[in-house]
Amino acid sequence: MNKISERQIYFFLACIAPVAKLIVMPARLAGYCGNDLWLPALFQFAVQSLAVFCALLLAKRGKSLYDLLADRTGTIFAKIVVLLVGAFLLFAGILPLLEQKLFVQGVFYDTLPSILSFAPFFLFLAYLCSKPLASYGRVFDLLAPIALVGLAGVLLFSVGNADYGAILPVGASGARGLLKGTAYSFAWFYDSALLLMMLGKFDYKKGMAWKGAVCYLAGGAAVVFFLVVFYGIFGGTAVNQFFAFTKTSKYFSGFTVLGRVDYLFIFLLSLASSFYTALPVSGAIESIVQAFGQKKYLPTLLSVFLAAGYFLLTYLLDFRFGDVMRAIAEQAFYLFPAFALLLPPLLLFLLIGGKHETA
Amino acid sequence: MKISGNLQKDVAAFKKLLPAEDILSFDFVSQKGLAFTVLFADPITDKELLGEQVIRPLLRYEGTPKAEDVGKKITSPEKRTESDLNKLSEEVLAGNPVLFFEGMDEAIIVGTKKVFVRAIAEPSTDVAVKGPREGFIEDIKINTSLVRRRLKTPELRMDFLNVGRRSDTFVAVCYLEGTTPQKTVDEVKQKLKEIDIDIVPDSSYLTHFLASRPYSLLKQIGTTEKPDIFCAKIAEGRVGILVDGSPIALTAPYLLVEDFQSSEDYFVPPYRATFTRVLRLLALLVAIYLPAFYIAAQLFKLQLFPIKLLMTISGSIRDIPFSPSLEMLLVLFVLEVLNEASIRMPKYVGMALSVVGALVLGETAVSAGFVSTPAIIIIAFSGIGLYAVPNLIEQTSVLRLIMLLVAGSVGTYGIILATAFLLFYLVTAENLGAPVLAPFSPMVGRDLRDSLVKYNLGSLETRPRTLKSKNKRRLKHE
Repeated sequence: MNKISERQIYFFLACIAPVAKLIVMPARLAGYCGNDLWLPALFQFAVQSLAVFCALLLAKRGKSLYDLLADRTGTIFAKIVVLLVGAFLLFAGILPLLEQKLFVQGVFYDTLPSILSFAPFFLFLAYLCSKPLASYGRVFDLLAPIALVGLAGVLLFSVGNADYGAILPVGASGARGLLKGTAYSFAWFYDSALLLMMLGKFDYKKGMAWKGAVCYLAGGAAVVFFLVVFYGIFGGTAVNQFFAFTKTSKYFSGFTVLGRVDYLFIFLLSLASSFYTALPVSGAIESIVQAFGQKKYLPTLLSVFLAAGYFLLTYLLDFRFGDVMRAIAEQAFYLFPAFALLLPPLLLFLLIGGKHETA
Repeated sequence: MKISGNLQKDVAAFKKLLPAEDILSFDFVSQKGLAFTVLFADPITDKELLGEQVIRPLLRYEGTPKAEDVGKKITSPEKRTESDLNKLSEEVLAGNPVLFFEGMDEAIIVGTKKVFVRAIAEPSTDVAVKGPREGFIEDIKINTSLVRRRLKTPELRMDFLNVGRRSDTFVAVCYLEGTTPQKTVDEVKQKLKEIDIDIVPDSSYLTHFLASRPYSLLKQIGTTEKPDIFCAKIAEGRVGILVDGSPIALTAPYLLVEDFQSSEDYFVPPYRATFTRVLRLLALLVAIYLPAFYIAAQLFKLQLFPIKLLMTISGSIRDIPFSPSLEMLLVLFVLEVLNEASIRMPKYVGMALSVVGALVLGETAVSAGFVSTPAIIIIAFSGIGLYAVPNLIEQTSVLRLIMLLVAGSVGTYGIILATAFLLFYLVTAENLGAPVLAPFSPMVGRDLRDSLVKYNLGSLETRPRTLKSKNKRRLKHE
């Protein structure tokens, strides 16, 4: 359990990372660029896969982000960068957390429940984040088939109900719409930054960088296909369909006899997304541990403290999800490409030509 | 304390060590006038054998008072000499008589222990339609012979230890040298040696000390009552532990998937074995989750029911005075009580209990409007599902209750979170270096061939990689 395996990294990139993009992002993209919603997503997956490629290349030396930087630039600069990445992850983690909360309240209950119905998640968050980041590796092994079956099931019930002509003509939203969609969807793409915090937790294997990028693109292809189906079903009303993956399958005719069996697949996707929601927080804790050294109760204390902080934040922002999302995705969107797109190649460039020490 | 050679003094010293009233002595003199005293524990010594193999030949003894010569006259195949009184007293307590005689500073221990054993029978917890029907019994010697009969190889090692300050229970650590990783063997032996407990009445006592997480809700050490399964597990590279007085053998490291496999799976076609394994998993999931989802759907998400079923359910629960959670808990409580009572009750009362359970508590409670029919059907189905994987009953019944409580308070999302907790707990659990959830997490491709899916025997060429066996290949094709 000390190391994440090569396969587990691929599973994360291909099956688990895409799930988080299926909750609120489709409706937002439909709002920004209508029938072209799949184009910004395609672009995001393409550029993010390049960042994933760079982040995986950094794993060649078998060192953590902090150690890599400390070797080249000294400990102070390394601490600053690692803590900045941690702070970014804490910031980035707010959106999926609020999404998750809204999703739970909207999908799992017939009437709007109290905020306390979501409170157990923070216990789970505290428990999960108190464990080393490397223990996620085995979770990825288990969640990959779960997410795959979940997505396949939802798509199976949805594909027959879509009008694929709805996505034509391509480019109807114009350059402005596409640009807006691309810029404002950055908030859902920071998987390469998560990989940066996993450095040192897995060993680089030959060809891992391009294989990882391909896996990410494969997961992206599934998301893009889902977006097409989503718009094909809802058309102009897609903008109002939050929690996309719970909505597309509900028109399947067999449900009158079977009941909403698609909920079984939705539950599987929810299970996968609850682990993904905790990942940025675990990444942030890892950054603090790397910067200040492994102390016995530090991860546990931090996880409890951060889970409590997030709970408070969620409680305070209970009915202000729209404002928070606009603030993160529309006003502070530039933070995401800075950390998730520029940082991995920049680090690669900085560390190329450094001392080639082996782990 | 050593033997002095003075018979009277030695016997007196021995009786001082073992003053219990069931420790008897028998004095006799040979034809040549040599005085002997046999000391033995009355209830556990075979006196007929003692008379036949020891006393009768020695009555005619005419040789010198030397242990070597006296030993030759004793016809028992199990005999040896010892001069330490403490060790001799341990032997007497184990059922082996001790022979003292005048002028010798050594005593002879004779193996005429009386063995009380029940016949080897098919274990009631692991019944097989096809395949061997033998089961372990309470005697460790017979159990080791059952193992030895199946593994006729010098590589089979049985290291014996004594555990328990007062019970001094015999424990055999069985493994295949060159196949089982030595690290695992050493770790098991070390853990057994470190046990400081009064008595070990059953092997289950040892599981607590062998487990990495002793207070865990989930199982961490494998158990079996069948020698064929025990040997198969040893042959895969595990360590087997037999405990005197217990018919339940332990195996370690334990993988969760073991409990979904039955010995019969290896004697039927692979497609059938795969089908039954998947069926067991589904039954287990139904047992744990069905009552919980039923409650969560009723309380928080009615959409989960098809419309016609929803109408049927709403018709049946309309006049029930309890909340859905309380109703389900009540039915579950009755089921658990009936279950517990039927196991402990004498068999002839069992039939009456079934009638009371099914008719009085079931039918009458429904017609009286205390509980609804769907609740009884769901709990009954869950109860049956529980027994599809008999080795996990203790764990699944607790998990079912937890899920039920969570569903009643937080709904479906609570069930999902509890499942996430459980999954994370399981994936991080390890025992003796083996991950409990392997070969699924971490995924071990080759080991999946004998997991929930069962490949043809010809495809199972290697031992499970999870167990890190030194000798990897178990099957060679021509």
